[in-house]
Amino acid sequence: MSSTFSNPLRLGLRQERVISPQCLIIFGASGDLTHRKLIPALFELYLQRRIPSEFAIVGCARRPWSDQDFREKMKAKLADQISNNEKEWDKFSNYLFYEPVDLQQSEHVVRLSKRLNEIDKLQATHGNKTFYLSVSPNFYGSGCKALKAAGLIDDPKKSRVVIEKPFGRDYSSAKKLNKIVQSCADESQIYRIDHYLGKETVQNILVMRFANTIFEPIWNRNYISSVQITSSETVGVEDRAGYYESSGALRDMLQNHLTQMLAVTAMEPPGKFEPEAIRNEKAKVLQASNLADENEPWNCCIRGQYAKGGNSLKRLKGYRDEDGVNLNSTTETYIATKVFIDNWRWQGVPFYLRTGKRLPKRLGEIVLTFKDVPVHLFESTIINPAPNQLILRIQPNEGATFKFEVKSPGSGMKSRPVEMEFSYDESFGEPSDEGYVRLLADAMLSDPTLFTRSDEVEAAWKLYTPLIELMENAPWKLPIHKYESMTWGPPESDQLLSKDNLFWRRP
Amino acid sequence: MKPQLTLQAPLELPHQEISNYLNQLWISEEEDSSGANTFTLMVWQPAWLEQCLVQNGLINGPITGILSPEIIKVAKKFIINKGLPHTTSINSGELLDLLKENLLIKDHEDLRGQFFESSISTLNPRRLITLAPTLNKASEIKTFVSAYCPLSENNITQTICGDLVVVRGDSNSIYEKGLNIIDELTIKDLPTWLWWNGSLDEAQEIFNFFTDHGIRLIIDTAIGSPKRCLKILDQSIRSNKAINDLNWVRLKSWRESLAMIFDPPTRRPILDHISDIDIDIAEGNFLQALFLISWISDKLEWEFSKIENYGELIKIEFERNNGEKISTGINSVPLGNQGIHSGQVIGLRLISKISEVQKNNTCVILGCESVECMRLEAGGMADMQLIEQVVPNAFSSSESDVSKLLGSSRGNTSPLFENSIKVAVKIFNSINN
Repeated sequence: MSSTFSNPLRLGLRQERVISPQCLIIFGASGDLTHRKLIPALFELYLQRRIPSEFAIVGCARRPWSDQDFREKMKAKLADQISNNEKEWDKFSNYLFYEPVDLQQSEHVVRLSKRLNEIDKLQATHGNKTFYLSVSPNFYGSGCKALKAAGLIDDPKKSRVVIEKPFGRDYSSAKKLNKIVQSCADESQIYRIDHYLGKETVQNILVMRFANTIFEPIWNRNYISSVQITSSETVGVEDRAGYYESSGALRDMLQNHLTQMLAVTAMEPPGKFEPEAIRNEKAKVLQASNLADENEPWNCCIRGQYAKGGNSLKRLKGYRDEDGVNLNSTTETYIATKVFIDNWRWQGVPFYLRTGKRLPKRLGEIVLTFKDVPVHLFESTIINPAPNQLILRIQPNEGATFKFEVKSPGSGMKSRPVEMEFSYDESFGEPSDEGYVRLLADAMLSDPTLFTRSDEVEAAWKLYTPLIELMENAPWKLPIHKYESMTWGPPESDQLLSKDNLFWRRP
Repeated sequence: MKPQLTLQAPLELPHQEISNYLNQLWISEEEDSSGANTFTLMVWQPAWLEQCLVQNGLINGPITGILSPEIIKVAKKFIINKGLPHTTSINSGELLDLLKENLLIKDHEDLRGQFFESSISTLNPRRLITLAPTLNKASEIKTFVSAYCPLSENNITQTICGDLVVVRGDSNSIYEKGLNIIDELTIKDLPTWLWWNGSLDEAQEIFNFFTDHGIRLIIDTAIGSPKRCLKILDQSIRSNKAINDLNWVRLKSWRESLAMIFDPPTRRPILDHISDIDIDIAEGNFLQALFLISWISDKLEWEFSKIENYGELIKIEFERNNGEKISTGINSVPLGNQGIHSGQVIGLRLISKISEVQKNNTCVILGCESVECMRLEAGGMADMQLIEQVVPNAFSSSESDVSKLLGSSRGNTSPLFENSIKVAVKIFNSINN
């Protein structure tokens, strides 16, 4: 009897692109990202049979590990994922190699180059190399220089460099970093990763918008009154205080993930589904974006920091009480801002973006609220008719909801809102891949569509420059408001919308 | 056509000189211009219908090898004028035989091999070799060569130049002389494909030459006798040779649509209670439908039990591993407006009986147009839970099917197709037994 757990007719139908023979070199291989995201994503690709037999993963870090050490450490870290696929892991682990490397030491990079040649011959990877810089952002520039000096990224067809976020700390540092990496490699070789773009649901925004006729005609200032983009986390800073203290919610989430969602939601249709066509449109919309009040940015931005909270069963620490956090820290763990896009499509439509830690739910969503009907013919069961809303759920419970008014049953003619649902789970019944699975495969396939181009990164930083300058030069004008852990941010963030007679959607 | 910059006009050369000439041509170019690092595509390009229509003066030349809308229109008109059944396929032997009667063998410009649909040229083949058999049975072999460089829209640094070789003559001369140059023209480090763009029943010795040389094959089982087609498919998978079938490629939307129906987990139990499947096809050979049924039975782990052939209707019975029977049927439906490819699936009805109460059972109907859906809905199906889907008809040209295949193939036989072939061969052999 066929299993009803998976769709037997679906097996083998999906045609995935084949990754060509390849050597993936991960710098920062002893770090968290490698065992939390990268190796699991590569193992997933292996299980999906998308990894060619001519393949190698070379971990590089300062620790003096051997190939065997690296394999064992990864196996221990991935124990849960491996438990059901022990045999497959044993085969996959043959692709794992390790070379102790300090990118700042030129002789280390020369030694690495020799080792890569040996591995290339051993694994027949045809000289194709993808370098993944999962190192401290301070070393992105020098890392690229070191690779360039060793001649490892000279061939633009056979070598690529993937760079993790954050790409710069502000507009000028991003510009400087772009200049450095572009002096080492061609822009076509540089893959600036933002794992939000690897999410199925973010990509689905493009498909929903441009594969249907019904949305695009109303996807503009004539029909949409406001847009809210939310990305919330329930967790606190955990063990990332060192990084987070110098970053905060603006640099960690707003400038990259939320701004990429904004770009995908607001961009014009590309002429073709081709990397440059899409990235052109994203860059254009970001270049047209501005804070709602650039001269007095404190009017359009609220910063917050979580205070203690929880309940009698579980007490939660405030941010300043977390390990590694300065007792007087003014790092924001919450930020909400209002943005306008000065183009024909969006002029006058406010985009509200918010992100924070220790909020009540982990979720990502985009809410498009449509304009009210010109005349209310029907009385509503809930005082006023609710405006139509399209809610695109990025995570969890991925899908979309459309809210609209219908006649409430009964003898009268009252209206009430109902919801039309699309759920990935109910429609497809299969979990979608982690963002890193998609993005790692795309990088190795030399497909930059879902990676951020230099002008996009710069435009995204430029958008928030007035806030960053204010935070650095006159932080008292953008004070940190405390909010109780597991609440929806500081009350002041509600005022950001209430000034416009709006309120945040309670997901 | 993709913009092309022809480095030279097609040049007629003795066939013995082609290989040397091309080697010299590429060596004399700049070091970085040794041609696209893609693949070689050989095409058996008889274009019999087009040749017959041109020779009969029913359409103007030149002969291009591309099945244009004009050729289809004129051929269909000819079918009606000559009193052939409206359901006659433009690929039918009957039509060709009629066109070949009183054929005037005249010289016409023959440009086969020099035009390719953009769907193929965008893949930047490194070498295109066209074998162009002529209707004239006393036609000596002629060989032409030309080089081209498509104007790249994106990446100007990438070398995408290629060359075209045309071997023209009657089938005998192609076999005796033309094939001698194939080995020399094969580029060792690049994959080589043969697209047999004709019936598998013809020029068997030429076809065998390619299968013996281990070249990756693309065939179309919509043309040719089912017996010969299945024999070739069976031999290929037994000898582990890569083979792909455009008739299978055109089934993609049917497989995808049927799978899509069962993506929602709540519908998956329906699959365990399927009792009947009926497939309607346009008149022609029934291989495509047989592949579809074979794919379903393979995925749902049914065992073939028996087949009954009633001509227009073929009944095939399977058994689930709990002993339940599944009856399936392939029904040939006369269509007024035949598509380009004969024997194509036009409708599928799947009934799942979960209970004795009719309304608790499910009927899935896939049709290539709503009329077909309505036809399959007749007979009480509307009393069940009805799931209907209109599957877009495969009006794509063979060139675009080939392009899809080349663009996505991993160089081997599709594992899904391979498993379907195994089931289909087993079923087909039972007809003959």
